[in-house]
Amino acid sequence: MKRTLAVLLALMALAGTVYGAPKSKVKIALIIESTVDDKGWGQAMHDAIVAVQNKYGSSMIEYNYSEKMKPVDAGSAARQYASRGFDIIIAHGAQFKNLILELSEDFPKTTFAFGTNADVGPKNVFTYMPMSEETGYINGVIAGMVTKTNIIGIIGPVDAGDSARYNRGFWLGVKSVNPKADIKVAHTGSFADFVKAGELAHTHIKAGADVLTGAAQQATGGLRAVAEYKDKQIWWLGQDTLQLTMPEGFKVIAACSYDYAPVIEAMIDKRQAGVLGGENIPMTFENGGFVFKYNDKVGSVLTSAIRKAADQARADITAKKLKLDWQAIKY
Amino acid sequence: MNAGSFVLNILILGVPFSVALLLAALGETINQRAGIFNLGCEGIMAMGAFVAFLPPFFMAGTPQAPFANLIGLVLAIVVGALLGILFALVVVTFRAPQGIAGIGLQMLGWGVAGTLFRHYVGGVTGVAGIAAFPIPGLSRIPVLGQILFNHNPLVYLAFLLVPVFWYVLFKTPWGLKVRAVGTYPRAADSLGIPVARVRYQALALGGAMAGLAGAYLSLAQAKMFADDLIAGRGFIAVALVYFGRWNPVGVMVGALLFSLAQALQLSIQVAGIDFPYEFAVMLPYVLVIVVLALVRKARMVGPTELGKPFDREQRV
Repeated sequence: MKRTLAVLLALMALAGTVYGAPKSKVKIALIIESTVDDKGWGQAMHDAIVAVQNKYGSSMIEYNYSEKMKPVDAGSAARQYASRGFDIIIAHGAQFKNLILELSEDFPKTTFAFGTNADVGPKNVFTYMPMSEETGYINGVIAGMVTKTNIIGIIGPVDAGDSARYNRGFWLGVKSVNPKADIKVAHTGSFADFVKAGELAHTHIKAGADVLTGAAQQATGGLRAVAEYKDKQIWWLGQDTLQLTMPEGFKVIAACSYDYAPVIEAMIDKRQAGVLGGENIPMTFENGGFVFKYNDKVGSVLTSAIRKAADQARADITAKKLKLDWQAIKY
Repeated sequence: MNAGSFVLNILILGVPFSVALLLAALGETINQRAGIFNLGCEGIMAMGAFVAFLPPFFMAGTPQAPFANLIGLVLAIVVGALLGILFALVVVTFRAPQGIAGIGLQMLGWGVAGTLFRHYVGGVTGVAGIAAFPIPGLSRIPVLGQILFNHNPLVYLAFLLVPVFWYVLFKTPWGLKVRAVGTYPRAADSLGIPVARVRYQALALGGAMAGLAGAYLSLAQAKMFADDLIAGRGFIAVALVYFGRWNPVGVMVGALLFSLAQALQLSIQVAGIDFPYEFAVMLPYVLVIVVLALVRKARMVGPTELGKPFDREQRV
């Protein structure tokens, strides 16, 4: 019996942190600047909350969301949720930092959260930070091995937050397998300008890039542009697994995405244990914060050697054998 | 990449980037020549982009699919014209302040397009869209062929419309009426020109062009629809009319300059030139402001009644 219990505990530990069911009903509100079906930033958080709700049932998790919230409007929405007795209010975006910090003083018994942000907030504010250099690194390993022109393009939104971490992790991944690769980094200056991301993708391709990647919801515009080169060996590495299911998915070799479910569960768990905030919750492969998928339909471009290298990189990152000094990378 | 191919790529990319701005700004030129500035251009573009996207999205894989893009374009033009007429109702008939009404139309278009998109389509997705149509013979001309004759048909159409709009505006009786109602509507009225009707016509045409500009983004450039696809291009189009001094040729120069600056800043980043990207992304906007500032006030003579509602009963 003891041995069985030990094996079970070991398996649970390997599977990441295990959270118990909420002891009482939890009301969660989400505030986002985009929409819950943007196949990117907003949808990843929404899907995670819905997954947690499905796991414990809507009788235990009540969920409401507000979309298209600019920081000016978001304050009003968050205040209404807090007044209506919502337990956890997540303003999904670093742009909401100031309003959340302000509101947290007015509603000390409400748990607020915003991210991505690595700072530790007040005692009723959680922050969360995807260590997206990990996902970037694995995609970078694949890109470095796939490229034939040795030119790789990155479509960044702005050089900050998790996008900056992803891009630098990607850089490290490429260089680990292909030190001579020329990595072109460019930014649109926007998280949501799909057209400009497409323009940037075309610019990369004209400059010789044959593998591209991009972060934030705008990246879908970049993928759409890559898909126009239907018969050419030009490929995409996604920062959201939903891109694999799009019609343009035939260009996506692999994709990583955030799974915010462990963050949501951690917040519920901590809150019910009396911790309303004051912590930063990291997202890593180790704690189940990331999902990684290959595109099995992509054909011969995804060789077994590439899979092996990417799998090894993921295993090393998860086991913390591989430390990624992303901050050292200067473009 | 050598300097030659660097410049060539900027030119190749800059031309198609300019088309949405050019189409919308040509329409806005007509609006403003008639004395109405339509800040709702952005909202009409959003609606145009959305309705144009629907036929190729829903007709994909059907026998009618080859006609889907054409149907989408027609829908965008019709919806754009109808929104232009709606705007005319508000600002011409009801004489509402044009700036406020324009912002209202922008929000209406953006909101309705986004809501209907969510309801009927769902998440962000793409369409096959309009393919490139290299012009036989001309597209093979070295350098020039790649820059000018290797694009989708809407690119050629947009640039062909520049002389058409110039001719209509400056050489036809209707163009004269448009300019008259924008410059001195009281005089035009005294000569029997129906000021309101001409303004309605101008706004319908301007709306149709904005709708077409939106369709260009969703069918030819991005080949997808997403919330906020237009991302401020409607407002840039309005600014380009001032830049081009209410002349279709000047507007074309402005659209090209802005888009070439856009292609330049993207190419600077991609080339790895040591230049802060924050400044690079500002470059096209700064350029427009600098040029506007440098153009002497005396040469900025536009329609003198721009923005002013016309009331024939009002005493002067």
